[in-house]
Amino acid sequence: MDAAVCWFVNSVTSPMEHEGQAIARGLRRRDPDLLDRLIEHYQYRLFRYLLLLTGNKETAEDLFQETWMRVLECGRQFDSRWKFGTWLFTIARNLVIDVRRRRHAPLADAGDTEALGEVPATGEPSAFDLLARREAGARVAAALARLPATYREVLVLRFQEDLALEEIAAVVDAPLSTVKSRLYRGLDTLRQLLEGGRA
Amino acid sequence: MSDDVHPRAEHLITAARVEGISPAEREWLDAHLESCARCAERAAALERALASLRSLSIPLDPALVSATQLRVRLRAQGLQEQESRMRGLWVSCALSWFLGALSAPLLWRGFEWVGRRIALPDLAWQTAFLFWWLVPGAAVGAVFAWQRARGSSDNGHAATQSR
Repeated sequence: MDAAVCWFVNSVTSPMEHEGQAIARGLRRRDPDLLDRLIEHYQYRLFRYLLLLTGNKETAEDLFQETWMRVLECGRQFDSRWKFGTWLFTIARNLVIDVRRRRHAPLADAGDTEALGEVPATGEPSAFDLLARREAGARVAAALARLPATYREVLVLRFQEDLALEEIAAVVDAPLSTVKSRLYRGLDTLRQLLEGGRA
Repeated sequence: MSDDVHPRAEHLITAARVEGISPAEREWLDAHLESCARCAERAAALERALASLRSLSIPLDPALVSATQLRVRLRAQGLQEQESRMRGLWVSCALSWFLGALSAPLLWRGFEWVGRRIALPDLAWQTAFLFWWLVPGAAVGAVFAWQRARGSSDNGHAATQSR
């Protein structure tokens, strides 16, 4: 992590209030340096979310760019009390819905999930660890591709992005009870799919 | 062991990950998992699934990130330039309306005097005054509309170019 990113992480991810205020100020000024750092910081999370939602790499790449353009253009609407990640995922999700409406297509239920399952190079895992993790990743990616998109979405937001239930409800624009029931059903289905794949 | 303890255990295994469970429920679940191999395996399977889900990553093309940063930077620059142009326009508008309001009584008398001198009907010089007064506002409105239209066509062009 270079010095600029360290500064960003320290300065905007420490207390939430401070983070929100710093980002809101920068977005109001349309500060390109702040946007550069935000893009760096959220690149994997946003792209993974878009890819899981659309199931198509090209669409996810287009929407990745569009999301950041929307962040720039609508930056003044960002409220410093919100978490930037939640706001970002809401914008991304709305763009996915727009694309889906334009194409008269449902949220993806399968697609480029072979792009998933790669293991990030963190630490120095042994060859056996890498193989096992890669296999596990491929199995989960395949199971995710078979999950209904509404379940997949909440599972990703909850267990990959670590969003709180209330934040997920805000992103998917659904009541808390709906989010919970999707999570219960999604987890249950994922477990069954994985158990089925194992057998 | 009663039959309905297993569904309860399964529910609690999932609930613990979704919304959390109370300490009493946690205690009950832990005790049950110690004595029930089937439920313990279910809990372990769920844990493995979540661990795999968390470790799931993607290969992201660095070129996409740098292209996005460049595109956002160019657009930010464009928006800032557009805003500074609009700010200039707003200032000149405000000034023009202020001076227009100040000079209105004088102009009214001037139009009236000219109208009388050349024997125009009252309605004619009053209409001429109104027209004179409205023209700058209409011109500014037209400039704003033109700027806005140009701005949105620039946006569309930039979006197409950067793809």
